[in-house]
Amino acid sequence: MGQVLLEIKNLKKTFNEDLHVLKGIDLCVKEGEVVSIIGPSGSGKSTLLRAATFLETIDGGEIKYLDKVAATTENGVVKYASKHELKEIRNYFGLVFQNFNLFPHFSVIKNITEAPIHTDHVSKDVAYERALKLLSKLGLSEKKDAYPCELSGGQQQRVSIARALAKEPKILFFDEPTSALDPELTGEVLKVIKELAKEHMTMIIVTHEMQFAREVSDRMIFMEHGVVQAEGTPDEIFNSDNARVQEFIGKF
Amino acid sequence: MNFSVMLQLLGNGMLMSISIFLLTLVFSLPLGMVVAFGRMSKNTIIRGIVKFYISVMRGTPLMLQLILVYFGPHFLFGVALSSNYRFIATIIGFSLNYAAYFAEIYRGGIESMPKGQYEAAEVLGFDKFQTFFKIILPQVVKRVLPAMTNETITLVKDTSLASAISMVELFDVASQIAASKSTIMPIMVAGLFYYVFNFIVAFIMEKIEKRLSYYK
Ligand SMILES: Nc1ncnc2c1ncn2[C@@H]1O[C@H](COP(=O)(O)OP(=O)(O)OP(=O)(O)O)[C@@H](O)[C@H]1O
Ligand SMILES: [Mg+2]
Repeated sequence: MGQVLLEIKNLKKTFNEDLHVLKGIDLCVKEGEVVSIIGPSGSGKSTLLRAATFLETIDGGEIKYLDKVAATTENGVVKYASKHELKEIRNYFGLVFQNFNLFPHFSVIKNITEAPIHTDHVSKDVAYERALKLLSKLGLSEKKDAYPCELSGGQQQRVSIARALAKEPKILFFDEPTSALDPELTGEVLKVIKELAKEHMTMIIVTHEMQFAREVSDRMIFMEHGVVQAEGTPDEIFNSDNARVQEFIGKF
Repeated sequence: MNFSVMLQLLGNGMLMSISIFLLTLVFSLPLGMVVAFGRMSKNTIIRGIVKFYISVMRGTPLMLQLILVYFGPHFLFGVALSSNYRFIATIIGFSLNYAAYFAEIYRGGIESMPKGQYEAAEVLGFDKFQTFFKIILPQVVKRVLPAMTNETITLVKDTSLASAISMVELFDVASQIAASKSTIMPIMVAGLFYYVFNFIVAFIMEKIEKRLSYYK
């Protein structure tokens, strides 16, 4: 495995002064790695992804992508990189949301091409070519002119994965990508993620799909009460002697 | 006064009513957006001022506002009223008033947008300006259209209030002829005109709503 793409150190996040949601998280992800994050509801998994993608500001610690420091803490004060640098760093990652957040007024192809064209200044032709390739890969070629409201949940989520991939990120974050789907639709989305894993796409996946996580991950992280309680290969996690991990996995 | 002269006077009144309507839209539609942003400003002073402005515009009669805008400069500062100021005052009065109403409609539309749209745009690298104009505004337009239709229809009828400062628009003309000739006919013509005008407005708005119904 290659270089370190993401390094999070001692990350802290507090809501409303006294709700300590992240209490010093360390996370290091190397190129090509698939890391899944599991843990009970409210343990801070989404908050961690949102902090890593700058949707939440952190209250302590450090976030580094490759050699670029996005946020760091000096003498207890968090300092973020400049707006310009953050924009550059944003290009390193993509985020797939639980409820897709597609743009409903754009067709599928426009959902995918708009960001590359207008934020990365990729030419229209290149952006369309890239989008069509992604759509065919995700089995959505015939839906390119459809609007999100005309698609099933599973199709919408695949479009949102294509939208994230079109920016050619180095890391892709997923926050419970199948939680909003009917059970019979989760398979098609999980299959896409497994295929990406085979192509060694670096991914950090928050999920409650234990079997899937076991299959797809190089490493699993069990989070609870804002800290990493256990970390290891899927086999290590599934055979952990940590009582909390056992109890959590036993539920599935 | 024969029939054709009367019709001609009414026709001029109609043109004036249409002018007030169109010019008010031209100024108040964009001004409303500025007011809406002021109303949502993070700066408490700006927000407070704009909130007060909206409450005055919505809480006092438009007729009174027109009179104030028209006579205000004269009584407050002793400015001599030029003959074409009457028309300008009408447009200013209507635009200020309607901008307040439109602002509240825009604000409702903008605030109803799901947070996820902003977040998706942010992660994809759109800046604030692109996010608003490409992602948010087009969806807001669709959301506010029914409320905008109502307000626009009200504006058609409200143009008659300009008669309060003796603007020679349709209602003013019609009521003057009716009074001097003791006939209800001009009032009926005026009523029919407002009705047809609004029929057309509603038709156009419906067309726009249809055009935007390609997505949910
Ligand atoms: N914007 C916010 N303001 C206040 N509290 C918040 C906010 N966002 C999250 N929280 C709180 O932080 C805690 C962790 O939330 P988070 O969404 O990260 O959990 P999670 O592990 O993703 O849970 P789930 O598995 O249910 O998605 C919860 O107690 C939640 O109520
Ligand atoms: Mg969550």
